[in-house]
Amino acid sequence: MSEAIANQPLGNASAPGTTSSLLQVDSLRTVFRQGRREVKAVDGVSFSVARGETLAIVGESGSGKSVTAMSLLRLIPSPPGEIIDGDVFFDGRNLLDMTEDELRDIRGNEIAMIFQEPMTSLNPVLTVRQQLAEPMRVHHKVKEEDIEARCLDLLRQVRIPDPETRLDAYPHQFSGGMRQRVMIAMALACEPRLLIADEPTTALDVTVQAQILELLKDLTRQHGSSMILITHDLGVVARYADRINVMYAGRVVESGTALEIFEQPRHPYTLGLINSMPRLDASEKARLIPIEGQPPDLGNLPPGCPFSPRCPFAVDQCRREDPPLEPYQGQHLKACWVNVDE
Amino acid sequence: MSDTPLLEVRNLKVHFKLPGTLLRPKSGGSVKAVDGVSFHLNRGETLGLVGESGCGKSTTGMAVLRMTPVSGGEIHLEGEDITHLNGRALRPLRRRMQMIYQDPFGALDPRMRVLDIIGEPLKVHKLVTGRKAYRQEVLRLMDLVGLLPDMCERYPHEFSGGQRQRIGIARALAAQPDVIICDEPVSALDVSIQAQIINLLKDLQEELGLTYLFVAHDLAVVRHICDRVMVMYLGHVVEVADSETLYTNPQHPYTQALLSAIPIPDPRAESRREVDPSIEGEVPSPVNPPSGCPFHPRCKHATDVCKQVAPTLQDTEDGHGVSCHLYEPQSEAEPSTRVASMA
Repeated sequence: MSEAIANQPLGNASAPGTTSSLLQVDSLRTVFRQGRREVKAVDGVSFSVARGETLAIVGESGSGKSVTAMSLLRLIPSPPGEIIDGDVFFDGRNLLDMTEDELRDIRGNEIAMIFQEPMTSLNPVLTVRQQLAEPMRVHHKVKEEDIEARCLDLLRQVRIPDPETRLDAYPHQFSGGMRQRVMIAMALACEPRLLIADEPTTALDVTVQAQILELLKDLTRQHGSSMILITHDLGVVARYADRINVMYAGRVVESGTALEIFEQPRHPYTLGLINSMPRLDASEKARLIPIEGQPPDLGNLPPGCPFSPRCPFAVDQCRREDPPLEPYQGQHLKACWVNVDE
Repeated sequence: MSDTPLLEVRNLKVHFKLPGTLLRPKSGGSVKAVDGVSFHLNRGETLGLVGESGCGKSTTGMAVLRMTPVSGGEIHLEGEDITHLNGRALRPLRRRMQMIYQDPFGALDPRMRVLDIIGEPLKVHKLVTGRKAYRQEVLRLMDLVGLLPDMCERYPHEFSGGQRQRIGIARALAAQPDVIICDEPVSALDVSIQAQIINLLKDLQEELGLTYLFVAHDLAVVRHICDRVMVMYLGHVVEVADSETLYTNPQHPYTQALLSAIPIPDPRAESRREVDPSIEGEVPSPVNPPSGCPFHPRCKHATDVCKQVAPTLQDTEDGHGVSCHLYEPQSEAEPSTRVASMA
């Protein structure tokens, strides 16, 4: 863990767009409109990712973690979605101000994405060779005559056995875990500087999950790439993240290093998540402490802090005013009016 | 508690025939989804049935419920052989064994009110008489699972996943069953809601003396609810033990690998743990299972014997059973290092 601590990024202290962090997101807002209803899926999210760092975004369904990731690359279907505010600086350039052509140069090239569903994210009528080669051809990264060698090399890197014969196979001939390896190989094809992995192992069995995550860790470390790991699994986060953003109702409610988040959680929601998570090393049949109530309706948020109706620590102020994300200690940030001391 | 277990399953087999080709209709072969599974379930206890997708855990549950044809073996409920009951004779059995499903969205009829969803077993099995008693009983069940009485006129789409799961539990309880088979009851739910449902299941068990067969892939969840755990792999039981033994002293290489693959939500504990990537590859297809021990192609300790001879589940006195050639029950006192030293 000492490594993770030494890796502490410069984070929010840096001015937007400076070169200290690879990615800098400032007050990002994405909404989805349905008739007169407006759902604030991402509601003023700011964070940064340092070079070589793995940032985990954790939250339950509907917390806005995936929409945040999709917004970074402007992959939100519009309509109904729209990014209404914010900046996303990647290496000093604002992705949200770019033309579609400029952005296409970045997608799959400097920033690559791995999606949750390896079954549906690959094209069923193209061979693995065609799909692996596509990003390299589009971005002119590799000379045409070297593409085959590079494809084989990528399949070897993601440890697909017998790559020569597998290269001309179709996705349906692969198992779920193998398809996710192909997805990773595609994402790595242009050696991206930032990898966004959206629940990369949720659809997979646990022994395969461990293999895929170890692989992602090794490969990002090898290439010195940064990673945004989106997941609902706190165990995965504990094993692989340097820093963590906890999201609830479209906002970051707490942000800190893995040790800070797990050992001194300062937001009641983070605390609630940790207490309600079943643990393998729990004492026998230990009782879980759930978070009471139901997740909020994003189209109809309560006034004040969105967590206040479920929060055991809530005071009057919480029901009136929305707490900003502010430093608690150094780079450990929290959005809460109350001081939660265990 | 009497000596006869509430549920006893002996050498259960469920084989599915595969379609052949047009010219050779019998060439399809079969999938041995469950291949010789034996276990017992005592009244008031929770037995966990765990494994990865395709290991046969759900099929075992369905076979016990007599919802899928059984190819071989015996199922006894309170000493009575129910393996070959058919038609009308199955009816009373349906009441005695209930199921809680994984998908709270698919398991409830969207056109029925909550009142009728929960009340249906009461009508079918004629457990109450009169509309007043019916409504009263449904409201009692709703209260039991933490639903408010004024929700009874609503339809499933008006509820969140966690609340729908509560409706499903109330419906299962309505029949006053002897055994409840929970098939991945919390895996579709968010962590904070998952904990609510796990606690609810535990409270109901304590209050009503329920017996659960708990089918799940998440070993961390199972740890919090089960008294005993049975690990399955490719249609076979590889290890069975009481919860404490299985989690602290797993003996089968598959159980060991499975446990080490699951991350613990604690970075300090994680940094001390060694991620054991020793388990290579994926679960083989059950259509064409490996010879000998089904786990041998992925097992780092596999010997020649493992490739040829299928091991049998060796039961020790304390109920710890391991299906592995490298396992010797007499050295139970020694922890798992012994398996490693055998290799």
